[in-house]
Amino acid sequence: MDATKQAARGWLGQQARTARRDARGVLVLALAATAAAIAQAWCAAAALTSALGRGGIAWQPLAAFAALAVVRAGLGVASERAAVAAGAAARRRLRTDALHRLLSAGPALLRERHSGELASIVVDRIEALDGFFGRYIPAAALAFAAPALVLAVVLWRDPVAAAIFAGAGLLVPFAMALAGLGAAAAARRQFEALARLQTRFLDRVRGIATIVMYGRAEDEAVALGQAATELRRRTMRVLRVAFLSSAALDLATALALILLALRGAAGRVPPGQALFELLLVPEFFAPLRTFALAYQDRLQAHGAAGPLASLPPPPPPAPALPVRTVAAHGVAVAFEDVRFTWDPARGPALDGLSFRVPAGETLVLAGPSGAGKTTVLEVLLGFVRPDAGRVTLNGADIITLVPQALARLTAWIGQQPVLFAGTIRDNIRFARPEASETELVEAVRFARVDGFAAALPRGLDTPVGEGGYGLSGGQAQRVAIARAFLKDAPLLLLDEPTAHLDPATEAEVLESLRRLTLGRTVILASHSAAAHAFGGRRLDLREGRAAPVRGVA
Amino acid sequence: MRALGRVLKLWGAQAGWLVLGVVVSLASLATGVALMAVSGGAVGAIVTGGALVGATLLLHLLGPARVVLRYLERLLTHDALFRALAGLRVWFFRGLALRSAGGLGFRHAGDVLSRLAGDVEALDGVYLRTLVPLAGAVMLLPVLAVAVGRADVRLAAVVVLLFAASAFVLPLRAARAAAAAGAGLATAAAGLRIACLDALTGLREVRAFGAEGRMLAAMQAREAALLAAQHALARRGAWAGAAAMLCAQAGLLAVLVAAGLHPAGAAAVLLLAVAAFEAVSLLPRAGVAVGSAAVAAQRVIEAAEGPVPVPDPAVPAPPPRGHGLRFEGLRFAWSPDSPVVFDGLTLEVPERGRVALLGPSGAGKSSLTALALKVATPQQGRVLLGGVDIATLPAAVVRARVGWLAQATHLFNDTIRANLLLARPDADEAALWDALRAAQIEDVVHGLPGALDAMVGEGGASLSGGQGRRLALARALLSPAPLLILDEPCAGFDAETERAFLATLNDVLGERAMLLIVHRLTGVERLDRIWRLSAGRAVAAAA
Repeated sequence: MDATKQAARGWLGQQARTARRDARGVLVLALAATAAAIAQAWCAAAALTSALGRGGIAWQPLAAFAALAVVRAGLGVASERAAVAAGAAARRRLRTDALHRLLSAGPALLRERHSGELASIVVDRIEALDGFFGRYIPAAALAFAAPALVLAVVLWRDPVAAAIFAGAGLLVPFAMALAGLGAAAAARRQFEALARLQTRFLDRVRGIATIVMYGRAEDEAVALGQAATELRRRTMRVLRVAFLSSAALDLATALALILLALRGAAGRVPPGQALFELLLVPEFFAPLRTFALAYQDRLQAHGAAGPLASLPPPPPPAPALPVRTVAAHGVAVAFEDVRFTWDPARGPALDGLSFRVPAGETLVLAGPSGAGKTTVLEVLLGFVRPDAGRVTLNGADIITLVPQALARLTAWIGQQPVLFAGTIRDNIRFARPEASETELVEAVRFARVDGFAAALPRGLDTPVGEGGYGLSGGQAQRVAIARAFLKDAPLLLLDEPTAHLDPATEAEVLESLRRLTLGRTVILASHSAAAHAFGGRRLDLREGRAAPVRGVA
Repeated sequence: MRALGRVLKLWGAQAGWLVLGVVVSLASLATGVALMAVSGGAVGAIVTGGALVGATLLLHLLGPARVVLRYLERLLTHDALFRALAGLRVWFFRGLALRSAGGLGFRHAGDVLSRLAGDVEALDGVYLRTLVPLAGAVMLLPVLAVAVGRADVRLAAVVVLLFAASAFVLPLRAARAAAAAGAGLATAAAGLRIACLDALTGLREVRAFGAEGRMLAAMQAREAALLAAQHALARRGAWAGAAAMLCAQAGLLAVLVAAGLHPAGAAAVLLLAVAAFEAVSLLPRAGVAVGSAAVAAQRVIEAAEGPVPVPDPAVPAPPPRGHGLRFEGLRFAWSPDSPVVFDGLTLEVPERGRVALLGPSGAGKSSLTALALKVATPQQGRVLLGGVDIATLPAAVVRARVGWLAQATHLFNDTIRANLLLARPDADEAALWDALRAAQIEDVVHGLPGALDAMVGEGGASLSGGQGRRLALARALLSPAPLLILDEPCAGFDAETERAFLATLNDVLGERAMLLIVHRLTGVERLDRIWRLSAGRAVAAAA
């Protein structure tokens, strides 16, 4: 078994321990329901014995039977709701923890993993654990406790019958162990076979456009059918053996029933007691059946645990350093011999970089891609911490600033701004939720968002982002400029803001950006010729170092 | 529910196996119930002072029969289920392939397809968890009526009504409620998914604007909505289960009352009733699953049997000799209420021509590919291939001549060889290596364990992004199409690789024509013509 599987197993075990504590309420309610069922069986046996013996209707045990039925139904609803609540609580706990980890790990995470994959872990993988917490954990606890309760009651009056129950009950795990496969293995094989078929199916459906375009749809349909048939043959060969151990449960049930019936028919116990014991047979084996059904949930949880265990570790507790903020106007930036490496295999991204930007001035970072331009900005944004060296804002080391303080100081516009699901107005207000309507309108006008918003069906209230109206790259960049304007931070960081725009749009966007830079400290990363128009000092980066200065751009 | 009926009809091809599964399952159920009844009868006979004749022999026969039949039932129902599943998936795949074109891969993100695949899976449980126990209920109903009816007809009517409520009415109600709640659940789940995807895709924005707390709160609010919707459905399920249980208990009470009126054989009837009600006890819960399956079935049927978006012409024109591609006065929008993508676009890619089309993302560059490949039809204007309007050609003819490398080409979780052969099934080993060399990934493939037979992983996971793109390109180059549309072929390449790739592209293409769709040029491409997309038209740029 490899390390990831071990990690997943360990993680799931740890979750199961917490969940078992949460499931105690479910267990108590379900055991109470079992107790009621035992009492009902006793009432039914008593009523029946009296009817068979003397004739007529024995109203007292029947009334008790009816009352117990209502109690049992109530307990059933309560325990089921408790189980659902436990499942929901576990998912809420896991999801909050996962989201907290992801948000703390921050943007650096997106260098290694795709946001769609992470979202699917947070949503679908955690949803897939519902059965494990809501069904499997309670069923596993009850599979031992409920039969034990039945056994104890039988033992009190009839030790021989108790021995029959115990023997039949033990036959189940014993036969499973003997077969070396067990119902567990049967369920696992069946689950894995289905999962393989589904993975292939999903893969082909996701790539269906590629298949259709190469004119191979019919071939793939036939291949899919053949794969399913082949899989069925192989799976059935396995199941033929594996179901033998499921038969152990049926054998145990039938055996208990027959032995108890023969014993009763031979008159070795009072008939009432014999009937009572017969009625308990279904109660005794039902939790074992529920457990066997819930085993699938455990298998599914094993599949989901791997990706969850692979999430970044929780953030360390807040540092005990003296936390500082920095005067919010006129920020001077300095890098002093800063080093940073993303991946040792690819060498350092920043290799002893030093530079200074006085307050209110503009620095253009130039150089080929991979020279470290984006890394400089990500250090300043607090996405990553330098491995060595010092980065200061107005003389304060950046690692001593609380993230909120740093976020207040900086505004950032990247290559392709992310627009969230919501209206254009929501997306601009994202920069500063408490901004007034007047400030918002000012930002819209400044960034010329009003120019294209007027042509949209619902103006600023047009939904954009997932499921909304698709904005062009230039329009999205205008929204980003409006965000930065609304935020009004003293340090403006621009990362190739026009890289994905055509020249005409680029010129328009640069014009807006130039107005935005007035009175701010600006660091612009770009290898676009148009960025020359920005003026300011230029720093050429080569392999994470400042290249020899070639003068002012 | 009608959609579910359609799915059942699709299973018709496997009807023999499915029915056999049900028949054996009925036999197994019958022996199980008889075993309980005979056990009860044997014990009851002692009280009334007699003995059930042949009880011991019956028990000895029924016990093994029950175990064996139950084993056969498991085998046969699973075998039938696997057959039905295979049939359903192949049917779905064929239907979707014919309509795929309805924008799949162009407009719908992969997660829509994943959800559809999930919907097909949701139909799997209908046979085992619902149809088989329902058949059992139908068999047990008259048995119960006769057994209790011997004692008292009115009580028998009560028991039968309670049994029917538990086996048929409650499950149906649960299914209806679940189907109604299904839409709400799906909306709540989609809401959570969008909120999470937003926050994670926008991690940079979130950190830069210090919005972690706000985003977490937004996601938790969506989660709370989802949990509330699930909770409401679970509460219904719990009450349905409780109602079924009370029906069973009331039925047993009626049997016990009847026992007082007619003691003979009463113990057998009681245990028979216990077994009968137990057999249907899970049906109300199965009803909830059927309700969700019905909603899933609706979506599956719509996707696989809806109208074909671009049907082939009834009388196709003869295939063209040439393969020059010309777009003429196109006006196009994906649907009447979505924005107009092209408005009077005219553009030509001559045979052996090298043409680039520039435009920002979102300007409709991939819509042009969709029109060229007969995935969509223009509202005005036409697309000519070798001088013939492609509306008069079968899609297969067009697609055999126009190759396509999409921005997000799917790599299948299969070997490199299988991924390449998709483009040309009869390609020999040398042709495969030529294509890999042309796409500059030959060395990488040589280095992999198994070389051509190395697995690429899910979505090409065992390759880097750039390597995956190059493998997809090798596949496109392998196809015999005389015209290739390359949609941002260098996305995911670093600058150096991009330039090297584009510089060699000209030689690699040989006699083929190319339409290169990119948002900007690097300057190393060798092109005959450059067009720029602007306001829905192609405008000539520097040649």
